Amino acid sequence: MKEILSVTLTIVLIVILLTALCEGPEFGNIDNPTNNYVSHRYVEQGVLDTGAVNIVTGIILDYRAFDTFGESTVLFAAVVSVMIVLNKSKEQV
Amino acid sequence: MRDEILREIGRIVIPFIQVFGIYVIFNGHLSPGGGFSGGTILGVSLILRNFIEDHGKEGIRIWEKTVKCFMCFSLMLYGILKGYSFISGGGELGFLEIPLGTPGRIISGGMLLPLNIAVGIIVCFTIYTFYALFDKGEI
Repeated sequence: MKEILSVTLTIVLIVILLTALCEGPEFGNIDNPTNNYVSHRYVEQGVLDTGAVNIVTGIILDYRAFDTFGESTVLFAAVVSVMIVLNKSKEQV
Repeated sequence: MRDEILREIGRIVIPFIQVFGIYVIFNGHLSPGGGFSGGTILGVSLILRNFIEDHGKEGIRIWEKTVKCFMCFSLMLYGILKGYSFISGGGELGFLEIPLGTPGRIISGGMLLPLNIAVGIIVCFTIYTFYALFDKGEI
């Protein structure tokens, strides 16, 4: 009974998500929301804004720095939780 | 695993790997690379060092404290530096502006170099800690 319920729930979720995906904009269309001024701004004004010649570092550590902060926090949380949860020895970490 | 040839070759190769990793981190804002890739190279050099020199189970006790100190320090350094940059971003509140310097120099780009170093330390210790914990039979 539980398996049937979970399979049905999964299929319903897949159908909902695929239906929502069909409503999205067409691939490669020039009027898509992704083709806006942001990428032009990054390429043209990136060196002036961030001072970095490497545009990738300029984006991930200056424009999108909060995202990189989240990634570092994920790594930190992974290490600390492995140390705490899977520790076999008697003394606490 | 811990034979003579591997030990001698490793002693020659490991310093070059570490210097290359530090180079990748410090030139992250000038050339391809950055904290994530440079930290991975440094972590791999530590793993190779662990192959050729066995420190036993006592080493991991000291290592856990070191890892926690360095990772907490790096994460707080990142948060403080970038948080200051977020607060003072508008430039109308009278905060001290960080100068960007000349693009192309090592000391340039404002906060990018310290942020790259912080990310590199976190990635390096993450990679080596997972290897060391699973290798010593600690888990």
